[in-house]
Amino acid sequence: MIPSSLVPRGPGRSVLRLHRAALWTWLSLVAATSAALLWAYGPGHESALADALRQCPDGIALCDRTSGPWIGRYDTVSALGTIGVAHLSFLVAGWAGAALVGRELENGTAHLAWTQSVSPARWLAAELAVPALFVSAGTTVLVLLHRLMRDGGRDLAWASWYEYDVFRADGPVAVAYALCGLALGALAGLVVGRALPALGVALAAQLAVVVLGNEYRPKLWPVVSVTGTGSVDVPSGAAHLHQGVITAGGARRATSVPCDFADGPNGANGVRCGAEDGASGVWATYHPESHFRPLQLVETGAVLAVAALAVAAAFLLLRRRTAAASPPAAAGRAPGSVPADGSATGASV
Amino acid sequence: MSAATAGDTPGGAAGRSAGTPRAGEAGEAGGAAEARTAKEAAREGAGSDRSPEGGRTGGRARPGVAVLRLHRTALLVWGGYVLAAVAVLVWTVTVTADAALREQARCVGEPVCGIAATLAYGDRIGMVATAVCYGFLVVAAFAGGALFGRELENGTAHLVWTQSVSPARWLAAELAVAALPLLLGSAVLVLSFRWAWSAHRELLGTDWTFADVFVARGPATAAYCLCALAVGALAAVVLRRALPALGVSVASVLALNLVLDGFRPSLWPHVTRTARTPFEVSGSAWQIENGAVVGGRRTAELGPHLCDGTAAEVRRCMAEGDITGYYAAYHPPSHFWPLHLAETGIVLAVAALATGAAFLLLRHRTA
Repeated sequence: MIPSSLVPRGPGRSVLRLHRAALWTWLSLVAATSAALLWAYGPGHESALADALRQCPDGIALCDRTSGPWIGRYDTVSALGTIGVAHLSFLVAGWAGAALVGRELENGTAHLAWTQSVSPARWLAAELAVPALFVSAGTTVLVLLHRLMRDGGRDLAWASWYEYDVFRADGPVAVAYALCGLALGALAGLVVGRALPALGVALAAQLAVVVLGNEYRPKLWPVVSVTGTGSVDVPSGAAHLHQGVITAGGARRATSVPCDFADGPNGANGVRCGAEDGASGVWATYHPESHFRPLQLVETGAVLAVAALAVAAAFLLLRRRTAAASPPAAAGRAPGSVPADGSATGASV
Repeated sequence: MSAATAGDTPGGAAGRSAGTPRAGEAGEAGGAAEARTAKEAAREGAGSDRSPEGGRTGGRARPGVAVLRLHRTALLVWGGYVLAAVAVLVWTVTVTADAALREQARCVGEPVCGIAATLAYGDRIGMVATAVCYGFLVVAAFAGGALFGRELENGTAHLVWTQSVSPARWLAAELAVAALPLLLGSAVLVLSFRWAWSAHRELLGTDWTFADVFVARGPATAAYCLCALAVGALAAVVLRRALPALGVSVASVLALNLVLDGFRPSLWPHVTRTARTPFEVSGSAWQIENGAVVGGRRTAELGPHLCDGTAAEVRRCMAEGDITGYYAAYHPPSHFWPLHLAETGIVLAVAALATGAAFLLLRHRTA
């Protein structure tokens, strides 16, 4: 158990007590995922590499077809690790909507707290702050371990940095999405007020944010554009976006000009696109791997802004609700927040 | 409003006066549900405050009717989902296929050609395949959370058991009433998907071996839904709380699906073909393993193009490497049904076990 000196006082303490099952679930989930990522970084990678080297003694970069029992296990664990870290935010959103806020409102735990000298705003602040601490800490640990696994496993090439799940699991956006899930879940719980419907609404809202993020990610940082007369090269490891021809008038037209995609591991030769007949040139756009960091930071900011909006909306909604129908006891405690129209308050008691 | 509501019903039994059903109040909030009669609970759960005769079922208790009324929203959502999936399939195949086919005809022999319409066609069919295959996860969430978990948590179930409906009959009614729409909906989804998937195979990048396509093209879809229902019931009877039961049942059926996904090619004996010269297995087969036969032993690590060149060179190379031939292990497309039915059987067996365990445990608890 957690030593009592570390347990916060006031509403934060009751959040921890009420949701201790969720806390232990979260801690075990983080521990299990960490163990899987560490296995893939260390012994898993070692065994898979031994498998690969047995088939390609001259170096695995020259081999295009490696398979083996340990390679299979390594691929499965590392892929599941990426999927897990990339989708943690859905778990957070569903839990926040259903268990954290929805059920407390549904069965009256929240209303009980509001009569115990905890104002609704302070209750919500504690509901958000305590889980935010654990969610951020756990996700940060998992992101760091995921980066470790990916950096250590570059020789056994698998997913690229720009793939949806990898991108969301490999940097600060993972923390931003998790916090956004918490905020959207809390807002959904407040809006719906019932645990199970709030679960559905929270998951749908989080899915919308993640899908929009995947969709608009390439636009969050200026792309690199290259032009050539006969052909253009997109460097190895870059996220190749669009390509087309340059007409005689100098205008760029987006077409599927023929491109050769390198077969080798890590896309060793990059992508080469050649011009169509009759075109005066060819162009292509891409994000080089060096754009990973700015893309992560911009998306982190955007997702955190969505989270901040959701938090603000939750506080506004809660204030409007509790101001319109708070019993006299609550009204007396916070006189400044109660509208002058006294006829609406206390009428239902 | 809601603050005051919770304040005046602090305990479940406190409001036990038959004349105060809070009509118009949205549903099961608060602990007052235990104090209401079954018909009132059913009416409120369905969100309606209609006149008493709407809920009259005579003197005999009919638990099936109560289940339907309590979970009317879920039934509507399920029906809407089935209709939407069928609509997407019909629209994709009848309306958008022409543009994709014209695009493909135009692209014949062209080195440079946009295939946006073909990709969009495949995306839509693939989206429905994913939804049809993994719909059982939502069923598990509903069964563990809303159907069984919440009724056990807030006492609706215990209330029903006092209304001349035995716990076993309650569980049987819940399972049966939920299973029927699941079976009907799955049948519609599977038949529509089979039709849509095979309508224009040349426009699709998916194969029969893809996990979601494999499940969506046969009765395994319905089996997974029934299994999710049964596992949800078991989780709820064990845990007796909605949200933990929801989490456990979703995790359990997902784990079952992942395990079967991994063992799928092993559920029926595969075909092994060997030959002295390298050969290609038909592209429609599900390739499991291939390689060379070295000194009488099958070695998957050696590819089929080990020895290239003229006939004499190949002979020398094979002799040097002690390669006596090549082999391939695969499932031909005709193995779809045995593989699919074996998986369906396993999933149904798990469903039966979970149902039996739920009944036994419930009897043990309520005896």
